[in-house]
Amino acid sequence: MNVPPVTLRRVFWRCLFLQAAWNRRGMQNLGFAYAIDPALRRLYADPGKRREALRRHLATFNCHPYTAAAIVGGAIHHEERVAAGQEPPGAPLAFKQVLQGPLAAVGDGFFWSGLRPFFGALAAVGTLALGWPALVAALLVYNAFHLWLRWTLFRAGYRSGDEVVVRLAALSLPAWASRLRDGGAVLCGVAAGAGALSAAGRISPWAGVLAIGAAVAGIVALGLRARLLPTAYAVMAVGSAVGAATQVFRGGR
Amino acid sequence: MDYLFVAVVAGLAAVERKGFLQAMLSRPVALAPIVGFALGDLPGGLLLGPPLELLWLGAVNMGASLPPNEALGTAAIAGGAVLAGRALGTGVTPAVAVLAVAAAGMLATLGRTTDRAIEEWNVRLAARAEFLLERGLPAAAMRENLYGLAAPFAVSALLAPAAAALVALVVPAVLRGFPALNAPLGWGWAALGGLAAAAGARAFRSARGIGLFAGSAAVTLAVGWLLGGTR
Repeated sequence: MNVPPVTLRRVFWRCLFLQAAWNRRGMQNLGFAYAIDPALRRLYADPGKRREALRRHLATFNCHPYTAAAIVGGAIHHEERVAAGQEPPGAPLAFKQVLQGPLAAVGDGFFWSGLRPFFGALAAVGTLALGWPALVAALLVYNAFHLWLRWTLFRAGYRSGDEVVVRLAALSLPAWASRLRDGGAVLCGVAAGAGALSAAGRISPWAGVLAIGAAVAGIVALGLRARLLPTAYAVMAVGSAVGAATQVFRGGR
Repeated sequence: MDYLFVAVVAGLAAVERKGFLQAMLSRPVALAPIVGFALGDLPGGLLLGPPLELLWLGAVNMGASLPPNEALGTAAIAGGAVLAGRALGTGVTPAVAVLAVAAAGMLATLGRTTDRAIEEWNVRLAARAEFLLERGLPAAAMRENLYGLAAPFAVSALLAPAAAALVALVVPAVLRGFPALNAPLGWGWAALGGLAAAAGARAFRSARGIGLFAGSAAVTLAVGWLLGGTR
């Protein structure tokens, strides 16, 4: 028996709640069971078998919340075979255990270290330059792409099961992540330059120099593993002190 | 009413940040303008969003690690800054922004502690789900997952308006008492912008990142200087 498309869409919607009850013991276990439950209800008319299936999906699970969609889809693929008696009940669990680590690494590397910060920097620079329309545009593009990719991974997992790894490899996400990280660093440089120009025009040329100095100091300090928030407090204090000293110096002349 | 808006927006952002969707709506670049819009000062939110985004660009929840809660910090900073700016009659100025970050920025660090406590609390939800499943109540067991959204909502909906109230109280008092601070604090805001851009570049952990950051900053300065010079 196959899970009908309407149920698959429902499972995908529930995938968006994967981390609702993230916990230190089972991590995303409850979210995973919650997501796959509509499919299990379709596959196992016998309440005892449904309960047994849910119990195996309450085992510890942790993955990137976007790429986990592929594993949810693949788990349904395997559950269909378990329900048809073509695979042992442990097959979906084995599938999850094998894939959760690699897909978490791919998701963290591409989405959390590449795509999302890139769009964060893009939205920041766009907002500084063009205001809220640029912000809205950046969010729309990010979400259109990320939701499309989540759905594509879910569908690929469901259709191809273990073969989803091959499909995922074809996307070359690590290579794209590297490009996005480079692009993001460029955007941050643009933000630093634009901020310095703005300060120079708004306050004084020396304020622009101060902004660049703060950027250089930040690169060095954070490179030496200084903590971010104390560094921010120190930079605000020093910057304000320099501003006060400049005011006193000008007043004295 | 204003604090109710801050509470609701901060609570929803806490839910969106981890428990549901994760569509960047709780990132500072989006959340600060949303808070500003909800309180009737979109430009104030737009002033705060970009530097806070770059500052916390590396605040990412990877695996079981917990970053500072940038959404909680942003909601408190933006809410407090907008209300302080309104009390002063100036809107969110760089001076107001610096003081708001100084007063409420620590909330992001406190948020990490509350996030840890919520994760411990959720262990009970998972255990209860297993118990309900054994009792033959699978639908009730699965609903426990959604109850996990309540704690982050409640914590942020309590802490963000409380911190915003503190900012709205302290910042106007400081700037009314010491009006000469306005100009120097503007320099502090410029410096924070520089640091935020650097923190953003560091967050990408790109091998060529620092070179690209420096190069693009230099090109932007040169282009800006040339365009400014030809005007």
